[in-house]
Amino acid sequence: MAVQWDLYEMYLALLQAPLYHLIIEGLLMVWVAWLLLRKPKIRKPILTEKEQEELITDWQPEPLVPDTTEDHPALDPFVVEGKVGKYVCVNGRDCLNLATHNYLGLVEDKNMEDSAVECVKKYGVGSCGPRGFYGTVDVHLNLETRLAEFMELEEALIYSYGFSTIASAIPAYAKRGDVIFADEGSNFAVQKGLEASRSDVRFFKHNDMKDLERLLEAQSAKELKNGKNGKPVRKFLVVEGVYMNSGDICPLPEIVELKSKYKVRLFVDESISFGTLGRHGKGITEYYGIPADHIDLIMGSLEYAIPSVGGFCVGTSYVVDHQRLSGLGYCFSASLPPMLAAAAITAIDTMENDPDMFLDLNNVCRKLHIALSSLHQLRLGGHRDAPVKHLRLAKSTGCHNHDGQLLRQIANESMKRGLAVIVASYLDQSERFLPQPSLRLVANRLLTENDLDKAIKILEDSCTAVLS
Amino acid sequence: MLKLFSTFIECCKKVTTSESQGLCFKTSKRVKEGKHSHISSLLPMIVGGHGDVNPNSSWLNGKGFWLSYGLAVLLLHLMLLCLPFISTAVAWTLTNLIHNLFMLIFLHIVKGAPFEPLDQGKTRSLTHWEQIDYGKRFTVTRKFLTVVPVILFVLTSFYTKYDTSHFIVNIIALVAVLLPKLPHFHRVWLFDSNDHSY
Repeated sequence: MAVQWDLYEMYLALLQAPLYHLIIEGLLMVWVAWLLLRKPKIRKPILTEKEQEELITDWQPEPLVPDTTEDHPALDPFVVEGKVGKYVCVNGRDCLNLATHNYLGLVEDKNMEDSAVECVKKYGVGSCGPRGFYGTVDVHLNLETRLAEFMELEEALIYSYGFSTIASAIPAYAKRGDVIFADEGSNFAVQKGLEASRSDVRFFKHNDMKDLERLLEAQSAKELKNGKNGKPVRKFLVVEGVYMNSGDICPLPEIVELKSKYKVRLFVDESISFGTLGRHGKGITEYYGIPADHIDLIMGSLEYAIPSVGGFCVGTSYVVDHQRLSGLGYCFSASLPPMLAAAAITAIDTMENDPDMFLDLNNVCRKLHIALSSLHQLRLGGHRDAPVKHLRLAKSTGCHNHDGQLLRQIANESMKRGLAVIVASYLDQSERFLPQPSLRLVANRLLTENDLDKAIKILEDSCTAVLS
Repeated sequence: MLKLFSTFIECCKKVTTSESQGLCFKTSKRVKEGKHSHISSLLPMIVGGHGDVNPNSSWLNGKGFWLSYGLAVLLLHLMLLCLPFISTAVAWTLTNLIHNLFMLIFLHIVKGAPFEPLDQGKTRSLTHWEQIDYGKRFTVTRKFLTVVPVILFVLTSFYTKYDTSHFIVNIIALVAVLLPKLPHFHRVWLFDSNDHSY
């Protein structure tokens, strides 16, 4: 029943208000007055005296230009002339090239060059802007469609630089508070992506599925503790198809099994495995006969098997499309020059028209693997089907720098004798797990038996010259 | 890589600032020419957003927010008054309860932001109250949001004729929304079993 009250009645009620009520209202008023008189204040972390002193003592000033040792490799650079194809001219000497990533030998492909030249005539050299800002040209869209068709997936997306593909794609999805499981042997681009994601990164031992399962189990136990009301934690698993730093192939079937068991999102960096593994060069999924849609995101490079510039991501539209607004390297970087995209399209044409090239490459990889394992002073690392091989000293001196120096000498010696090989270089300070120094050799489809024999001979001679 | 990204972003910022400077320049020129006497006629031309990494930190500072807030509470109260069989006292208590419940849920329980902020998930574990003005204390918006439930409580007490049962309900509702606003409760969430170690 609605009751009509007038102000007088209420005034009476105020007079009869209980004392406790008046006291509470009075206190509230005082508090509000105090609050209103406060000045805005920034919340600052308060450091204790001890912490301040620690920070000050921790700081070590660095010279602007650090001293350079006399044997620093940068002081003795290799001068390369001409095209870097099957052969490369280093310091004026023609060498057989086992140093650069040209797995399919398409670098000197005439068709690719022609299509790039034609595209320059049509569009000029640059694309004039990021993809979302007047930088999209039909060639980009064609390349994306072709890549998606080639991988038999819904959608592809291209970046203008291979490194930033991986370093942008990971933080586009993984954020603070998420958990990423990653391999200790991941390459630098993956490491930077993990860092940029600000997620909680847990590294498992290289290719060790037991260790990975242990970490996944620990995480799910932790989540169980949070109970039913606990927010689900997003989990990611980042692996490489073929590891750049070791030449190993990831055990994808077990990884896919773990992925579905522990409900993690699986990202695979196929920079090397794309265009090299599998009967049709479709990468690690084809190699193991696993449907590509079992993987949430495939990231690849257009700089190795396809000798252009750039990178790409393929997967379902639902996943890939997210990067068109959230992939920083995609949004804030000028798009791939159309001529490079045109060259990449021609490379895909070649790959589709001549699938035997993958057989040839596989043969070379295996032959190279057998040949290299015959070396006595160097220990071969990597999978026989992988186009990247790592040679480490069989008898390590125990000192990282010294090992590196010896290998560099071997590489220099080989180059003098007509074989271009290179020591894998890392940013020693920035690597999460610094790999052992190694000679990184790259298989190339065009290598013949004679070339391989010659390469092994030169490597053996250089080893003997340097190590004995 | 990170550096590269930050340079991208800086470049973008530079571009936007230079654009806005250009616009300002144009504005003053036009104002001088007398073609547009008022700057607001040019406002639709200024493209771009708030420029905040997390819009949740600033949208409450927007123009007319206090008025809209007041009107919303008034509307709620009038709607409750319209209901039959409800006395003025109950309507006021209900207004207070509903207002505080919404405030508790949206300011102090729900975490994160309804949009995707550009902070790589920094605010995912923060309530809206903690995000306001990037955690700065005693700002105008914070003062307003603190004073509103107090005023509502005083009004409700007055219109319920200081009835004890109404008082108990209302004071609990008031404490529920004032406690989490205290600086001591910054990043402290009661009844939350999640692991916030990250």
